Amino acid sequence: MSGLTGEGRTNGPAGEDAVEGLPGRVPHRRTGRRVEVAQPLDMSGTGRATAEAVRFLRECQGLGLGVDWRATGTPSYDPRLLRHLPPPTELHADPRVLASWRAGHAHGTLYHRRGPDFITVLDRRERGTAVRLTLDHPALHATFLRLLEPTPVAGLDPTEREALGLLAAERLVLTGGDWAVTLPPRVRRWPVPCTAI
Amino acid sequence: MRVHLVTMPWHPLDLPSLQLGLLQRIVRRSRPGDEVSEFHGSLRWAEFLLENSGGRLRPGDYVAVGSDAIFHGLGDWVFSGVLYDDPGWGEARLKEYAAGRDVPIGTALAMRPYAAGFIDACAAEILAAGPDVVGFTSTFMQNVPSLALARELKRRRPGVTVVLGGSNCDGPMGHALHRNHPFVDHVVRGEAEYAFPALLDHLEARTAPADVPGLCWWDGTVSRANTETRRTVAPADIPSPDYDQWQAALDASPVLEHIHPKLVVEGARGCWWGEKHHCTFCGLNGTAMAFRAKPGERLWTEIDRLVRRHRLLDVVTVDNIIDMAYFRDFLPRVAGSGWDLRLHYEVKSNLTAGQLALLGASGTVHIQPGIESLGSRVLDLMDKGVTGARNVRTLRECENHALTCSWNLLYGFPGETADDYTPVIDQLPALVHLQPPSGAHRIQLERFSPHFTDPGLGFGERRPAAMYQHVYDLPEDELADLVYLFDTEPAGIGGPVERRLKEAVADWRAGHADSRLLFEEDGAELLVHDRRYGRPPATHRFTGWRAAALRRLEDGRTVPALHRLLTAGGHEVPARSLGAWVDHAYSLALLFRDGTTYVSLPTWGEPVRLPEGAA
Repeated sequence: MSGLTGEGRTNGPAGEDAVEGLPGRVPHRRTGRRVEVAQPLDMSGTGRATAEAVRFLRECQGLGLGVDWRATGTPSYDPRLLRHLPPPTELHADPRVLASWRAGHAHGTLYHRRGPDFITVLDRRERGTAVRLTLDHPALHATFLRLLEPTPVAGLDPTEREALGLLAAERLVLTGGDWAVTLPPRVRRWPVPCTAI
Repeated sequence: MRVHLVTMPWHPLDLPSLQLGLLQRIVRRSRPGDEVSEFHGSLRWAEFLLENSGGRLRPGDYVAVGSDAIFHGLGDWVFSGVLYDDPGWGEARLKEYAAGRDVPIGTALAMRPYAAGFIDACAAEILAAGPDVVGFTSTFMQNVPSLALARELKRRRPGVTVVLGGSNCDGPMGHALHRNHPFVDHVVRGEAEYAFPALLDHLEARTAPADVPGLCWWDGTVSRANTETRRTVAPADIPSPDYDQWQAALDASPVLEHIHPKLVVEGARGCWWGEKHHCTFCGLNGTAMAFRAKPGERLWTEIDRLVRRHRLLDVVTVDNIIDMAYFRDFLPRVAGSGWDLRLHYEVKSNLTAGQLALLGASGTVHIQPGIESLGSRVLDLMDKGVTGARNVRTLRECENHALTCSWNLLYGFPGETADDYTPVIDQLPALVHLQPPSGAHRIQLERFSPHFTDPGLGFGERRPAAMYQHVYDLPEDELADLVYLFDTEPAGIGGPVERRLKEAVADWRAGHADSRLLFEEDGAELLVHDRRYGRPPATHRFTGWRAAALRRLEDGRTVPALHRLLTAGGHEVPARSLGAWVDHAYSLALLFRDGTTYVSLPTWGEPVRLPEGAA
């Protein structure tokens, strides 16, 4: 994992997750349960920057943090893949995309949980549906975990590439510009009521 | 022998039947030659409704009738028409009952026309398997669906042996169920670990089961009820449930896509608190109060096995109270697993902040701490062994550790007065940032509770609850033995104070979502951000002994005790100044007062709050 490059938090309440940092390469400022991203994030899906942005937003979402951020670049992928992440304040795309992102976003729309040798995913990105997936095939399980960190596709072996294809088909991984990143955050903090997701 | 185990509606659709899971193991363990199959009639009913109503009656409707309407008997009523061979049986009485109480019955009415066809289909499927014995487990509203199917089985094949067991059969209820339903051959009363295999042995040997403790059986046309045993089942003899057949039934069911399946485990039976101080309103433990727990290591081994086998991370425990040893030998194992489990546990309310933190760390994020009231005198009346201040503290710590807390506010205890409630009701607006109760409910009279067994406690007049009139076609004296809930003359508060209490709870529920009262440390200053419903937003700043006092009051203290603590901590505070400051903090609604004890109300954590039923 790369080191902490964010600007860190200020004055967070002594909640149990306040000491946890946010991984990745996205400069940000954290105040309590809100995070402000310093620069616009490239969401074009043409390389590492988008994969890093997705990782950052995914981790914020997993911790239940609110995020203020702006997007640049026109998504080269179906932006509904990201509906579980906090929506940006600005997005260079059809205005309807941002409107539907805002309308469709809710805490717990997409997340994963870890078991002993399997991962469960709950996907409610499509309104009115709740798809439950269990990843218990060793290659799927391992690749899903590996791609939590943005990874160049060229670096994957054939088994991992096959797993990547399956994960992408289930809309659990974003690929673009030869980079891939896992989309569902891990549940790090249950909401109240915990049964609402 | 071929033993067919049956769980009928309204067993929850998202849970395997612990009872069937245990009986499966019990029979296989003691009678390895038997063939044991299971019939998950609850799943079948949801499937039957989906299919035959053209998708109109869905699993959500099943929950509305089967779980939400337990106190109105709607689920039983749906099947009463089959039991009594009259599709219109009890309909007029149900409508009259519902109209007077504003109970929605449309879904139950819509389901009833399907009940007879369903019972037919169940009977055909079960008999096709050629069982020698069909064993039903019955809890809550499973009585009438089970009786309706039992009757049909015996009508079609008189030679099949029908056995009924489960919580609904405990004590006199089991005998009443037996003697009023001749098509039920045997009723197992109490725990089945020893009794059910013993009964099967008698059936095989064709001998009278006169020596099986608690068992009801037919001696010619006479219903015999063997004396119940005082001996409870040792934890070592309680097996780990087998859910393989449930999993197979679920995997093949169209219901699967409508539900989120969870595992059910059992760590303990009985209640360690109830052994010493039986909460006056509680009848949950029936005739077996003695507390018995599996060692934490064993419980964890069972969960480990079930999680791996079924690939499920949601676990519901059925224990009426957590074994305090589990904080040492169970929860640390759960926390150490590194798995993202989500557990539900019933606990006692007087847990420490450290114990609540461990619950959160282990994924036991859904707790039911039996709070019941925020007034110490009322809690004393119910022998709950906890104070109002302690309960408020627990609610506050649930926010700090993001624990979902299910609780009710109960009233109607003999001896309580308006004076016990007024100071609490006046303070409820200050608690709006803490998780509200599901409602304020008048207690019911439950069989086996001290209120029931000792009429001298205040509920002298009692009759079977009105709902049973549209469930059973039985005389009142038989119902008096058969049912669990009773109507009585109301005790305790009523009139204006009851109304105020209900209104204040409704306001709490309405105002909670956006209410916050948060501590923040800012250098030497202690800030309190007040964003509670019904108050102007404010930030209060405290320093020195005032900040220390607010922190010390997190544990709940009297003013003299607080003074001693501050003095010991090096703060020189004149007693009079401290008293005046406590009054000031109380006037800002930063403290809850319970008699002479004060508890700080601000929280350190702020969980992600979602609307109920957001999923």
